[in-house]
Amino acid sequence: MNGAYLDLVRAHAPLLMIVAPLVGAALTLVSGLARLSWVVACIVGGVAAVIGIDFALAVFSAASPAIAEVGVALYVDGIGAFAGALMALTLTFVLVAAGATLKEAGASAAPFNVALLLCAAAGWIGALMARDLAAVFVAVETAWLAAVGLTAVNAVQARAPLNGALRMLSLGGVGAALMLLGIGLLGRAAGSFEIDALPLAHISMPSVAGAGAALVLLGLAVKAGVAPLHAWSAAALGRSSGVVSFGVGVLAVLGALSVMTRVSAYTITAPELGAAISAALAGLGAVSVIVGSVQAVGSTNLLRLAAYAGVSQAGCVLLSVALGSPAGFAAALMQLVAFAAAGLALYGGAAAGRVQALDRLDGYAQRAPLASAAITAGALSLMGAPLTIGFLGRWRLVEAGVGAGWWWAAGLVIIASLSGVFYGGRLIERMYFRRANAAYEGEGGVWRAALAPALLAAIVGIAIGVAPNALLRAAAAASQLLTGLAT
Amino acid sequence: MTPEFALYAVLGAPVLQALLVMLVPKPPGLRDLIHIGFSLLGAIAAAYLVSAVAHHETARIVLAQPLPNVDLAFTIDPLGAMMAAVLNGLGVLHAVHAAGVARAKQERAPARLLAFIALAMAGVTAVAFSANLFSLFVAYQALALAAFPLVAHRGDEEARPAARAFLATLLASSIGLFLPAMIWTYAIAGALDFRAGGMLAGRVDALTANILLVLYVMGIAMAAIPPMHRWLPASSNGPFPALVAIQALAVLPAGGIGVLKVVTFVFGPGMEEAALASQLLIVLVGIGMIVAALIALSKQDIRERLAYSCMAQSLAAVMGALLSLQPGPFAAAGLFAATLQILALACAAATLLMAAGTTAAITGRTTVADYAGLGRVMPWTFAGFAIASASMIGMPPFAGAWAKLWLITAAAGSGLVWAAGLAAAAAILTFTHLGPLAANALAARAPTDAFKRPDGASILLAAPVILAAAATLSLLVLADPLADYLSPIWTAGAGQ
Repeated sequence: MNGAYLDLVRAHAPLLMIVAPLVGAALTLVSGLARLSWVVACIVGGVAAVIGIDFALAVFSAASPAIAEVGVALYVDGIGAFAGALMALTLTFVLVAAGATLKEAGASAAPFNVALLLCAAAGWIGALMARDLAAVFVAVETAWLAAVGLTAVNAVQARAPLNGALRMLSLGGVGAALMLLGIGLLGRAAGSFEIDALPLAHISMPSVAGAGAALVLLGLAVKAGVAPLHAWSAAALGRSSGVVSFGVGVLAVLGALSVMTRVSAYTITAPELGAAISAALAGLGAVSVIVGSVQAVGSTNLLRLAAYAGVSQAGCVLLSVALGSPAGFAAALMQLVAFAAAGLALYGGAAAGRVQALDRLDGYAQRAPLASAAITAGALSLMGAPLTIGFLGRWRLVEAGVGAGWWWAAGLVIIASLSGVFYGGRLIERMYFRRANAAYEGEGGVWRAALAPALLAAIVGIAIGVAPNALLRAAAAASQLLTGLAT
Repeated sequence: MTPEFALYAVLGAPVLQALLVMLVPKPPGLRDLIHIGFSLLGAIAAAYLVSAVAHHETARIVLAQPLPNVDLAFTIDPLGAMMAAVLNGLGVLHAVHAAGVARAKQERAPARLLAFIALAMAGVTAVAFSANLFSLFVAYQALALAAFPLVAHRGDEEARPAARAFLATLLASSIGLFLPAMIWTYAIAGALDFRAGGMLAGRVDALTANILLVLYVMGIAMAAIPPMHRWLPASSNGPFPALVAIQALAVLPAGGIGVLKVVTFVFGPGMEEAALASQLLIVLVGIGMIVAALIALSKQDIRERLAYSCMAQSLAAVMGALLSLQPGPFAAAGLFAATLQILALACAAATLLMAAGTTAAITGRTTVADYAGLGRVMPWTFAGFAIASASMIGMPPFAGAWAKLWLITAAAGSGLVWAAGLAAAAAILTFTHLGPLAANALAARAPTDAFKRPDGASILLAAPVILAAAATLSLLVLADPLADYLSPIWTAGAGQ
């Protein structure tokens, strides 16, 4: 009996990964109570993560799972399965970690916070599973508006986050317009709006299709915070509360980058579009690496620093995708995992002690040793220190890049790592070798458990760096599975 | 005991030592006992590995496979085993001395200081036993991170910028230069495992070989090649036990070992393709030796003087390694000179820095001018200081003399007489900044003002100095056996 239910769940796994967070969002709003809504959200997030990981394992174990058709046009490919599971798992981590800072905007806002987090995750997962470009658009905008709402709801203690939310809204609106226009052009030129049709479509108007694809990717790049289109990121994240750091800095950026990777993988493998899309992504990635690295080095605020480091990391993801090869896609997926782990560790460590300005980190290791350990692990991963997942991701990019003759990509990776040495080293030096100049303001008691996801992310980041074979195999399998599993 | 177990022990003992020292900071007696005991354990394991290599036994341990076809692996070879044995042997003396200094000077956070010294020793041991370029890179980075707290130990306004400069120089050069070279090598050879005779031998053109050599040699900033040497004077801000670890036993020797391993196992002795870059680097290194010795002469603080003096000696080791790339029958002589130079540097620098540390702990004096006559009241300490100075200068029969002799032989035999001249000039300048200092300390009238600790140096502070000084005499009888022991390295290269 249980086996039958389990089979039913597995047959609807992609749909459940989208529906479960949405149902969970409704339940949290109904519950009304801050703590209860958080518990419900964590359970729902955990369920979605288990379903996502089980589904991804089934996909990558080479057994094609049966997926039920229920009227929603889903198209699950390797990148979607991999990134969808990653999103669901990250959502769970984010929800648990956000527990301690959930009520910073007042207890009444807490249910909204978790509901918006769940909606955002559902949107990004939906975009990763959608077959139709229009459905991708709807899902992306749902997720983005949820992220804007999350930023706005928590903008009660300072004006800066509200300014950030306005920037997100306005820039995101521009991005949405570009994306919609791009989808129209691409669909017209390719003769279909279905994403899986692009690589095989006979594109009659390559220039129109190329422009359309570029606009779609540009719209997504705005939401991923890729430089120079990242004007919203520092404003929204620089003085944000913990829940916004996690929800926007980690979840939204990870979601947008994942969707960008998926859409790019289809457009770049279309023969008529490949070269132009590759060049555009490579250019965007290079600019993002350089600008993000320079801005991170100059940051005096930990949250801004993490945001800019994320911009640099996003550049590395785009460079990997720009290679247009399975090795490049696999490298991009590895870097998405690295981004999620480093982001959770950095923002989690910062949220534990309410750290924003860098000078608040002075002597942090004595006040909050576990939070400092999490930040250290995140910083080392961003540096690309050996035996961390950050090193692994960048090595895979360099390996794929050198294989394709893209030596300059290896140079950019070196720049990203070198800048990581400067800003990461600065964090470590402040935490461990300076005297404390402020009292610890973090949560005590049971809410210290909210630091667990950051620590777990740090440990996972190092564990994967030491023994990466399983993840490497999964990423390689995902990059080979661009043909969909079911409709 | 199997060689594999000994390899685990020599790599793991310092890590366990660091953990235990941090967990048991009090009572000081137990803490120091743990520190010294585990150092001894590491030294015994390293000595066993020397014997195992001599009996043609092999051992390879794989700790992880972080990249496809690339292991985090460590293996025993004559070069690594010899370096690890000497450094860990001196490490025991340093452990005793560090415990004494920590007590005498009442250093702040002594457990942390001792723990990071142990981690630094683990780092240099890992560098010595690294089985491939990736493991060397990981060990190098780990050593930089372990030594960083030693420089920052005092935590004051001078120590923090110094520590930042230290870490930034070492990590930036390794990521900016060494890592690209490693990636390039991987692209050419398809693997990163060290190979006797050189993994690049016969696979690269002259342009690639020259660029790669520059990237590797400059990327291993721990060897203190100008302009990548800024970390070394910056490290002078650390407490004396930290200085011994950084300049004598761990960081600076790791640079020499790294260059030696790269030259031996990546390029291979006598690699004609890299001859141009090696000659240019020899010029840079030779001038660097002379300038470092001159700067040392200008420094009045003993820590700064010894830092630049050690830099000049480390550059001599790099010169030897680079000379081995010159085609001809003297490539092996260059490798042997570099090996001897690293061993001689470790013995002499450890002695000098421990003697300076003892002096600072007992008298509170750290300026050169205040050393006059101290040998009369601290005869054992300054006898060691004088012997180590003689070794650094290259005076027979001390270890440094054999190293300099082989270095000049290799340079002259390779047709680079000017390189031999540069090495000789550097030795003379070393005499000018260490010879009069040692002579003045022994011969001048004893100071009459009161010392910081009038009860004098304890056995913990004096004995390690004199024992380390005695080690500089060891090459008098060990040079030939050492050449036989190390010969498989260059014999394999010659056979390629």
